[in-house]
Amino acid sequence: MSAPLSLSDLDLPRRNGELAFDAPWQSTVFALAAAVIEHAFGGDREPFRQQLIAAIAAQPGRPYWESWTAALEALAQTLPDRPMP
Amino acid sequence: MSVRGYHPAPASPVEQRVAALEALLTERGLVPAGFIEEITRRYESEIGPMNGTKVVARAWVDPQYKQRLLADGTAAIAELGFGGPEGDHMVVVENTPGIHNVIVCTLCSCYPWPVLGLPPAWYKDPPYRARLVREPRTLLAEMGCPLPDDVEIRVWDSSAEVRYLVLPERPPGTEGMTEAELADLVTRDSMIGAARL
Repeated sequence: MSAPLSLSDLDLPRRNGELAFDAPWQSTVFALAAAVIEHAFGGDREPFRQQLIAAIAAQPGRPYWESWTAALEALAQTLPDRPMP
Repeated sequence: MSVRGYHPAPASPVEQRVAALEALLTERGLVPAGFIEEITRRYESEIGPMNGTKVVARAWVDPQYKQRLLADGTAAIAELGFGGPEGDHMVVVENTPGIHNVIVCTLCSCYPWPVLGLPPAWYKDPPYRARLVREPRTLLAEMGCPLPDDVEIRVWDSSAEVRYLVLPERPPGTEGMTEAELADLVTRDSMIGAARL
């Protein structure tokens, strides 16, 4: 039995494929990376990207969002001890 | 849940790690209230391949727009209101009868978010990232996109800066269609180059 369609369903990117996230923790860790990039690195995505490349290279078969989590953990280690202004 | 006796499943290790990250980063003042919800909402409902379909349809109906799009992808895409993270340096590559373009990120998962949203699972998986460069014709055929031998395949590996978008060929027999109807024909995979229309 299919669920009734709502208008918002039709607007979701899944029209052309799957939804962006399979579980709430995935969207959370995605947004956390965005927050760090924006608020700790002034919008520079490269430091996170380098961590993601390293995390994927370290365990190529690991599920993608787990590599993303590992990358963000590694990036968080590089943040200064004091909170950002 | 208000059902008596309901106990939520224990969080998996990765969920616990993400919760720890959220606590740490929030304490550092890096995660404003509502930020996670807003980013999630945006990528689940506003930012996706439906944006790219509008860019492609406009290029099909407006030769001058297409010229601008191929000359400066970032600026032409911004004309339609799309931009932001992972879209600062957009390069649009045009398919022709003799050339088929396809995009990949061999090192991680770089992808043109403003026009395609977040990448599909297969785009981020090792087989696609490794094989597209090594044997593009074979892989594309396996993915349901066989190409004649006389069609040149150009593989574009996203670098630190540049994000690529494929401009698919306008299908024959669509001369009478409106721009909105044309946009409906465009698929995500055709803008990656993993499909033809």
